[in-house]
Amino acid sequence: MSDPKTPPPLPAAPVTGPGSPRDVPPLPVQFPIDPATLPGAIRDELEAPDPVALDTASPELRDGLNRCPKCGATDIRHKLGSDVLVCQYCRHEWQGERVEEAFGLGEGLDRLRGTVIASGARDIDAGAASLMSFKCTGCGAEVTINTESAMTARCHWCRHVFGVNEQIANGAVPDAVLPFHIGKEDAVARIRQFVDKRRLFALKAFKEQFTPENVVGVYLPYMIVDGNASAAVSGKGEIKTREYTRGSGNNRKTYYDADVYQVDRRVDFTVDDLPLESSAERGNLDTRVNTNNIINTILPFDTKNALKWNASYLLGYTSEKRDLDVERMRPRLEDQLLSIARAQVAGSVRRYDRGVRWEREQLEVHGTRWVSMYLPVWLYSYHQPGRNGGLLHYIAVNGRTGETMGSVPVQQWKLLLAALTTGTIIESLVLWFLVVAS
Amino acid sequence: MSDDGGLWLLAAGPIGATALYWALYRYYRNTDKSHAFERETTVEAKPVTGSDTLIDTVTGTRETRISGDNVHDYRARVRRDG
Repeated sequence: MSDPKTPPPLPAAPVTGPGSPRDVPPLPVQFPIDPATLPGAIRDELEAPDPVALDTASPELRDGLNRCPKCGATDIRHKLGSDVLVCQYCRHEWQGERVEEAFGLGEGLDRLRGTVIASGARDIDAGAASLMSFKCTGCGAEVTINTESAMTARCHWCRHVFGVNEQIANGAVPDAVLPFHIGKEDAVARIRQFVDKRRLFALKAFKEQFTPENVVGVYLPYMIVDGNASAAVSGKGEIKTREYTRGSGNNRKTYYDADVYQVDRRVDFTVDDLPLESSAERGNLDTRVNTNNIINTILPFDTKNALKWNASYLLGYTSEKRDLDVERMRPRLEDQLLSIARAQVAGSVRRYDRGVRWEREQLEVHGTRWVSMYLPVWLYSYHQPGRNGGLLHYIAVNGRTGETMGSVPVQQWKLLLAALTTGTIIESLVLWFLVVAS
Repeated sequence: MSDDGGLWLLAAGPIGATALYWALYRYYRNTDKSHAFERETTVEAKPVTGSDTLIDTVTGTRETRISGDNVHDYRARVRRDG
């Protein structure tokens, strides 16, 4: 709930307005210009098929342990395309437990009150080290894991595998994990397909160095938030009552009469599984300095199928650590809840055919529930040199649904040339038309 | 075709060039994309309530929309009361 004494500041959002992630994103497969009017080469790129996003549903899951429940071995791997863990020693297979049922996350959203924080989403202790050392139970050697980038390690001496499962206060261990379903080959194919649709004006160096095989599987930290809130908005709306023209010939002008209404709307709603980046760096969607909005776009994940934390799922993948606490993420949550409320009331003001200008808004958050999760993303990156260290372009594939989004650096002179050529052709047609008409 | 009515057509070239540049730039760089949480999140809302009061009339305006229309700009924040 928002504290009335200290209204939370909005998150730093330096880029706003058209063309930024603060725009309500366009509907999928929408290009502002009709491709049929464009030259063949551009049209072919635009009309090529997109990578298909799979709808995934995981089977019912049961028990989860870090050691093989049958033989006790620690050499356990995740079987790709499923939520199954396989013991590399005795080939025993078993499934993790879904947090949805284990913690009752899908229920009682409308009765949610206060702030419920799951144990893995607790505040980060600034003193907690990200390096953790373990004493190998097999041989007694010291094994160190850097939780900034990995959650598992192998003892160099006796090949015992360790996973960080204890919920230490450094933010590294979440409540749940969603294992990869999309394999590397699939991800490579999707990235290739995505880039093949964007070759004509792509930066030459990017095309030359394009090696999608270098894609890395990474588990990124998110907070999955359930919320129960009420919002109220008020403003002015106009309904057209008359339309008429005055004057004649060149001075013919259209005028409108309208009724102005004071419009007030209120809506109570619950939100289920809203994902928010819980890493300060990933949450910064400033398109001038980074392309994190690409990773933001491949949300959402089928978080209903998330499994209870088990580090064995992360074997062979890298991970990033959470560094934001619930309170620091609250402004962003409230901002998104307000946006959702505005989208909800939009349907009730359709009769205002001259539009509505919302002037004030109010949000009361009755209850929130925060669960931290590691979500699987395939990331391909290309560093474009330039001012201030250049720009890191990402192409990201959702490790569950296969949704693909990317930023392909453009060859500016080519793009400018194409635009100028098109402009010149249009302009010559106009001039020709004016000459003929006069 | 009158002089006045034809001259504005001259803007078509620059406008067309700019439109194509931005459309292609966004198609490659996708700077305008983000998670569409407004329509991709499960939201259960109770029926919207509210009131509508006629407060004024406008006559003879040439604008086709109300000024500052933000009914579809869900993410544009306005003054927050609480």
